[in-house]
Amino acid sequence: MSSESIDIGLPKATEPASLAPILGKVARVVFRVLVVCFCLTPFLLVIAISLGEKIEGAAWVWGFEFTHYERFFAGADWPNSYSGIYLQKLWYSLYYALIAAPIAVVTAFPFTYFLTRLTRRAQTVWLIFLLSSLSLSEVFIVMGWDVLLSNRSGLPMVLRELGITDWMKATGWFDVAREWGLASPRDLKFKTSLFATVLTMSYLVWPYAVILLYPALSRLDNSTVEAARTMGAGPWAVMRTVILPTVRIPLIGTTLLLFVFLLGVYVSVTVFADPSQHTLAVSIYGSVRGSTLNAPFGAAQSVILLITAGLFLVLSQILVSYAEKRR
Amino acid sequence: MSDLVLKDIRKDFGSARAVDRINLTFRHGELTALLGPSGCGKTTLLRMIAGLEEPTRGQLLLGDTDITAQPAHKRKFGMVFQNFALFPHMRVIDNVAYSLAIEGMAKDARHKRALELLDLVQLADFGQRRIGELSGGQRQRVAIARALAQEPQVFLLDEPMSALDAKLREEMQVELRMLQQRLKITTIVVTHDQREAMTMADTIIVMSNGRAEQIGPPQDIYHRPANAFVADFIGRTNFVDGTVHSGSLRIGDQVFETNSTPNFADGSAVRVAIRPEMPSLDNTMPLSNRLTARITFVRNVGSTRDIHLDTPAGPMIVEYAIGENARDFAVGDQLDVHLPPSALHIFPAASTDRAA
Amino acid sequence: MTRLHWSAMIFMGLAAIVLAMPIVVVSAAALNGGRTMLFPPEDPTLARFVEFFVSEPVWRTALYNSTVIALGSAAIAVLAAWPMAYWIWKRSDTGSKALAGLAAMPFALPPIVFGVGLGFMWAFTGGLGTIWAAILSHAALFVALPLVTISIGLQSVDRAHLDAAATMGATEGVTFRTIVLPQTLPYTASGFFFAMVLSFNEFIVMFFVSSSAFSTVTLQIFNSLRNGFTPTMAVAAITFITVSVVAFSLVARFGDLPRLMGADQTRD
Repeated sequence: MSSESIDIGLPKATEPASLAPILGKVARVVFRVLVVCFCLTPFLLVIAISLGEKIEGAAWVWGFEFTHYERFFAGADWPNSYSGIYLQKLWYSLYYALIAAPIAVVTAFPFTYFLTRLTRRAQTVWLIFLLSSLSLSEVFIVMGWDVLLSNRSGLPMVLRELGITDWMKATGWFDVAREWGLASPRDLKFKTSLFATVLTMSYLVWPYAVILLYPALSRLDNSTVEAARTMGAGPWAVMRTVILPTVRIPLIGTTLLLFVFLLGVYVSVTVFADPSQHTLAVSIYGSVRGSTLNAPFGAAQSVILLITAGLFLVLSQILVSYAEKRR
Repeated sequence: MSDLVLKDIRKDFGSARAVDRINLTFRHGELTALLGPSGCGKTTLLRMIAGLEEPTRGQLLLGDTDITAQPAHKRKFGMVFQNFALFPHMRVIDNVAYSLAIEGMAKDARHKRALELLDLVQLADFGQRRIGELSGGQRQRVAIARALAQEPQVFLLDEPMSALDAKLREEMQVELRMLQQRLKITTIVVTHDQREAMTMADTIIVMSNGRAEQIGPPQDIYHRPANAFVADFIGRTNFVDGTVHSGSLRIGDQVFETNSTPNFADGSAVRVAIRPEMPSLDNTMPLSNRLTARITFVRNVGSTRDIHLDTPAGPMIVEYAIGENARDFAVGDQLDVHLPPSALHIFPAASTDRAA
Repeated sequence: MTRLHWSAMIFMGLAAIVLAMPIVVVSAAALNGGRTMLFPPEDPTLARFVEFFVSEPVWRTALYNSTVIALGSAAIAVLAAWPMAYWIWKRSDTGSKALAGLAAMPFALPPIVFGVGLGFMWAFTGGLGTIWAAILSHAALFVALPLVTISIGLQSVDRAHLDAAATMGATEGVTFRTIVLPQTLPYTASGFFFAMVLSFNEFIVMFFVSSSAFSTVTLQIFNSLRNGFTPTMAVAAITFITVSVVAFSLVARFGDLPRLMGADQTRD
């Protein structure tokens, strides 16, 4: 376009005219190659190695075979016998994320809405707090919930001391808790349970949910809300008829992104979930560096996780561009 | 010193033509106003003069030098931008000294020069202020001082008053004009405000749809509009339909005397433009060039009154000066209105009031 | 600003409590006299702080590694993000956008997959287990963050400023140095701090790249997961949360945090 003309200086007689642009172009190409190298090559390698051949004794060679994918979908002993154990792991990855992501979004949504109504200064303080929590390593968060849910000093102790445990035993709720896997024969017990896993995972992505919803909600035009109120809409009607419809796309988009994020969670699952309910991420770790040591199979599982995550990312991208087109 | 000459300048943005066949000469030391409604291409033309846009066709000459291919940073025409574009991360003095710093002038020398310029715009004590601490008027002065620091051959201003409030605007117009006359610098001001153009300019160029509609001194533009667009855009105008028969103007079935003998084919339809202050409503008036009228509305606007009339030729507004022997007007009154021959500007009927 | 309803304030208060609870509990656990994480702490002592920062070389080296990797990778991420953000802003062509999309991929996809891939890549190139590999890996993982913040910063630069600089004799290079760079400095710094804090806390990618040759603080904790948590690790947690709060406070002090997070700047 026309603005380009600013950049093109008149050729100066005193300096070698052609060298600098060529050097610039070379630098640009080198830079692009480096970005591709670091950001794309790892993914390509994972895909390539997933087709490699496993050799007894922990090594592998390049190859082109689909045995590792077969094993993923049908078990190691296929076609003699069928085992869906890895599909089950994938299912657990999806399952935890499927529960934890919506919980985080549903609770973060009203919070974010209130947050955006605060003064700029108060928002800043909240954001510092939220970002600090968001960036805190999963190991520390799990550490905190580990103490909070432990039998000796956490929630079970609090409930015991308050007499709630005894009350539950008296009213029969204790048996319900046992059925849900939240109690040992004598006491309430949260480790290991679905409750603890999902709770920690929701906590983990909750600040992300707020940060992702924040732009849409802070750009919400207050005058539309006020207009609705002058037409007789109460707070709930405003929420239902004005706010929710305008932020529907960001809400779904956020849920999808959190979902993808949760697919890769590792520590929460290993600490809080029952070993029979571990996820694909845990299994990848075991295959690549852990006990089983089968790099091509680990890579194949990674590819499956990659495709799953990629699908949901593409879905959210389509959603966003669809929303932009309608604007 | 040298004039700035634009030869057959054209600018296309994709398929849209922003500026079309502009031929202009900006004489050395004069202030020229590019006046027109928004989207008429005046800012694009100014940006091409600055070197910020490249013309699709045509030539720019500064004296004998062809500067068409010269980029903005080589031309170094000082420019004042609409929102002043002062750099918020620099103090006032460093904003003014920016062009000198780029040239490599030593800090003391360029600060000394910047202070002189700040003094010129009466902001000598403001050098150490931050941009955020200045009022709108002060910002504009800083922008002017900054653009003048490089001693440009041409000084460009893009809607320089639009960010100021009405009162300040008029003050600054006078001040800027006085500064320009003192420095004798070739200056081009883009504006959509005709009062601004009238106040400051030696020459006004009225633009619409990328073309120059009329070029001339302010009084000419006002009193002798070249076409219906200019008549409508500059000041207020009543338009009345008429026809030309054997060299004389007819409105309705009445024949009107005119100053300019209309050069139209017999029977062709015309539009007649009449400035509101030109018709007479006095008790004594010539017998010729009269229309019967009925008052539909009276609007008091201080020193004058707007009398809205219904005439056989259509509605008309007449501006009536309130003096000692001023008449009283009431809605519903029947009266005659006299249209002096010099007040009638005749244009072809096909010409539109205002280009879209 | 509209005043919040009391129920909204209670809701926000509850959210703050839940959000703070694990952090408070871990911080308190650092005071434990014994080797187990108890809350409230038993025999409160500051001995664990001495262990973490002074007497135990494992933690000292780990903290050193964490710091070097975080600072190094954040610096490289910012340097790599700048040209990409600048090209998009200046030209907004498909090539630049595709490159930026590529650079954002590692951050968007599950880190364990990227970690596995990096592990393979460094094994081939012989970099596995070196600090340099770790720094470059984290730079690639977090380059998306400065890319976003710098892009936001560039969007806030008034293009009239560039034109103004040009009419005063500045070439593209001079304009970049005197106008664009200074005006986007807070955003560059924010990008740096975001990348730094997240690198400081990251351990999955680090696990695959370090190959047990060295350890960072979070990786050290991750590696001893099976043996349970100890109060010394809680000291690490306090250190890390402090670093985060300080870093984000700096971002808020020198930049506009709400705008950086996507708030509409026209309000208030």
